[in-house]
Amino acid sequence: MAASNIALEILTPHGSALPLREGEKAKKRRVSVDVPGVDAPGLKGELGVLPDHVPFITPVIPGVVRFRDGAVDRRVAVGTGFLEVTADGRVVILTERALDSAEVDVAAATSELKDVSAELSKEFGSIDAVEHRKLSDQQAWLEAQLRAAQA
Amino acid sequence: MGSLKEIRNRITTVKSTRKITSAMSRIASAQLVKAQNAATSARPYGDRLEEVVRDLLNAIDADAALSPLLASKSEIKTVGLVVLTADRGLCGGFNANVNRATKKFVRDQEALGVKVEIVACGKKSHSYLRHEDIAVASKHPSPDLKTIVDVAKSVCTEVAAMFTESKDTGLPHVDSFFMIYNHFKNVLVQEVTTLPLLPFQPAEGEVSSLPPVFEPDPASLLDHLLPVALQSRVQQAMFNSVASEIASRRMAMDSATDNASELIGDLTLEYNRERQAAITKELMEIIGGAEALK
Repeated sequence: MAASNIALEILTPHGSALPLREGEKAKKRRVSVDVPGVDAPGLKGELGVLPDHVPFITPVIPGVVRFRDGAVDRRVAVGTGFLEVTADGRVVILTERALDSAEVDVAAATSELKDVSAELSKEFGSIDAVEHRKLSDQQAWLEAQLRAAQA
Repeated sequence: MGSLKEIRNRITTVKSTRKITSAMSRIASAQLVKAQNAATSARPYGDRLEEVVRDLLNAIDADAALSPLLASKSEIKTVGLVVLTADRGLCGGFNANVNRATKKFVRDQEALGVKVEIVACGKKSHSYLRHEDIAVASKHPSPDLKTIVDVAKSVCTEVAAMFTESKDTGLPHVDSFFMIYNHFKNVLVQEVTTLPLLPFQPAEGEVSSLPPVFEPDPASLLDHLLPVALQSRVQQAMFNSVASEIASRRMAMDSATDNASELIGDLTLEYNRERQAAITKELMEIIGGAEALK
């Protein structure tokens, strides 16, 4: 019999990053949530994971992870990382940072994105390759936040 | 023996110093819990990532030079070193220990004819290295709990660039990378640790018996994974360093408070003795004067 739900974990260096339920304290964030399926931004494009998936590992790029949490649709912005389906059928997203759409500060992210993009569009003029990489990472992360916050 | 007024002044001075040190110690105690929690909640992420790397490297033939981050150089001419200290002092041996280890590392490598390029985090290492005339390739602020991810990211980008590329970055090229930081063993013990960063070595441990499917393929996955794993290691070290800084500050301030209390006790005793002596002296003078009048 196929399981109807799959356990999802989002792990970051700051601990679990699952969206807060109503009235839930940030300190006591839940570690795992049962979801019918997960959509995540994979290296080769958007990918969906449903219950009873074969164990596998794939890279995740900055983007939006979507899943249904009970009656609520959740959107979480994630940074670079990995999606792993474990042998016991859990989905673990390991990412350097993650932010629930409700926690995104749209105004701050928009203005920072503008600054970063302006800096980037100078294109190697005054900045070196390392700086360029740092900026484009930051840009991807800010865009992911905004995409999670919109719609 | 100083005069009464002098002793009184000293007591006031020590008392106000004690106020500062005990406040600092109390602040550090409160922060310590937070830092420890942060370090604990970071561990599952780091551990899981290490497991993935191990599985992945096991699934790939080890001899193939897959990722430039794994390649060990045959001849080592330049060694990179990441140094983690704090921005502020008054935390016991925390900064001094790391700085001393750094100096020793640099001198040892120089004796072998190897050049050392330093990536320094924290003002205390910047000023120390300047004082010792040791060149620093790049400087970063000391991370705190909120900025760890960002600082780790920019340090790692630089480290990886210095290791893999030599041109276009404006940074020196290095053949291997180490990191010196304070490892948080427990509240009382912090250990200066030298950790090899690059070429990347997988951690020891069991490999999963049933390797998962790797998507798209192990090699390109590895290219994506190694920078993240490197960053996670640097982050773990930073979490350790932050917790160590706070723990050693608390310890240093605790003992400073104790010392101040002891000093106040001694000074008060001396003050009273001096006061008594003054009174006795005055009495003697009065009695002497009365005797003379007879």
